Amino acid sequence: MSFDSVIELKGLKRYYNVGGETVKALDGVDLEIGRGEYLSLVGPSGSGKTTLFNMIGGLDRPTEGIVEIDGVDISKLDAYELAWLRCRRIGYIFQNFNLITVLTALENVALPTVFAGTPHDEGLKKAKKLLESVGLGERLNHKPSQLSAGQQQRVAMARALANEPTIILADEPTGNLDLNTGTEIIDLLHGLNKTRGLTLVAATHDLKMIKASDRVIWMRDGRVEKIERG
Amino acid sequence: MASGERRVHLGYVEAFRLGYSHLLRRLDRSTLNVASIALGLSFYTSLLLTDTFYRTYSTLGGASLSVEATYYWLVAIALTVSVVGITNAMLISVQERVKEIGTMKCLGALDRHITLLFLIEALLQGIIGGIIGYAVGVVAALLTTGFTTGFDIILRVPVTQNLTLFVSSLVLAIVLGTAATIYPAYRASRLDPVEALRYEL
Ligand SMILES: Nc1ncnc2c1ncn2[C@@H]1O[C@H](COP(=O)(O)OP(=O)(O)OP(=O)(O)O)[C@@H](O)[C@H]1O
Ligand SMILES: [Mg+2]
Repeated sequence: MSFDSVIELKGLKRYYNVGGETVKALDGVDLEIGRGEYLSLVGPSGSGKTTLFNMIGGLDRPTEGIVEIDGVDISKLDAYELAWLRCRRIGYIFQNFNLITVLTALENVALPTVFAGTPHDEGLKKAKKLLESVGLGERLNHKPSQLSAGQQQRVAMARALANEPTIILADEPTGNLDLNTGTEIIDLLHGLNKTRGLTLVAATHDLKMIKASDRVIWMRDGRVEKIERG
Repeated sequence: MASGERRVHLGYVEAFRLGYSHLLRRLDRSTLNVASIALGLSFYTSLLLTDTFYRTYSTLGGASLSVEATYYWLVAIALTVSVVGITNAMLISVQERVKEIGTMKCLGALDRHITLLFLIEALLQGIIGGIIGYAVGVVAALLTTGFTTGFDIILRVPVTQNLTLFVSSLVLAIVLGTAATIYPAYRASRLDPVEALRYEL
């Protein structure tokens, strides 16, 4: 069976210019990520994990090199297609959840379906189901500020799934959570990867996450240092 | 990637729903914006109404009275101040929402969707501010003129004239509120998602 890759990075570089000095956040990354794979990005602070997350997520443009998703070079996409990619193909999970504070849990989860053009009622129904599936069926109308950190991250997970993406990107999803709630989130993510065949790329420092993954990418100074089977 | 319809959307109904949520749930700031519009507008309408009342009074045989021209300068200044105030408040509002705007862009929002959300907030603020401003203006004009012309003067002004004044106040409120928000909305729409997500308050 040949390797079926969803994401392909070729000679990826991202340089920042800070006061005349060049900071090499990514300095030549080549990587293929398979469909349904669970990949952990590991490395010391400043090694380029978040920068890589932004590149794969179509949030930032590389200084050099190519990001291909399903064989399409995303630098060739126009603003509409890029927004579509972010909306429909990729679900994002952040360390600090990034929920919209003025919206309820239900409205937060339904928000991506708005941009996808889903009818209002259908979007809400979908959001309700998703929140129930992460164990928050009783919290639909709570604001983020009325939820615990672990609950907020579960809302964020439900939101990431709202448009049935095939790729989930997570940047230190358990970084702001205690051990137990972190484990819950990891189990949920792992379950999604296994049951729905979602491709999961997670930057993390969390040993539990690393152990659960198929492959571990060790980053250092903007490069891939080594790759291990999980 | 499958070809076909690769569009993201933000319908007006949904945009109104979101704009309304923001207004309602950031009530302190939106109340200040509404008050700012209402204040400028009430000054404007009270002056025009006072003038209208005086004119109606004199056509009905009363003494010939009018509003001093210098007052119109004051109105222009009051309206300018309210526009500047709203621009400032909306810029702060953009600053407060940097992360949210970045997040929305991750969820598929286009630049113009962000602009639309801010303009809808401005529109709603303008409408509410315009209505309140007009109502306050009516009361103020009656208090200025009523003792000379009689308080029933408002009933003697032709209905069409009252209506024209109301509509023009409302339109002015909406135009000013929206104009004040164009620059903040533009700034918000241009935010880079990566920068926005890195942003800490
Ligand atoms: N906007 C920017 N301007 C300048 N330098 C930047 C910018 N963003 C990132 N960098 C630099 O790029 C390098 C990689 O940063 P990145 O955030 O990707 O690291 P990270 O592996 O996610 O670290 P952490 O574990 O702390 O989150 C760092 O040296 C950082 O200072
Ligand atoms: Mg990081």
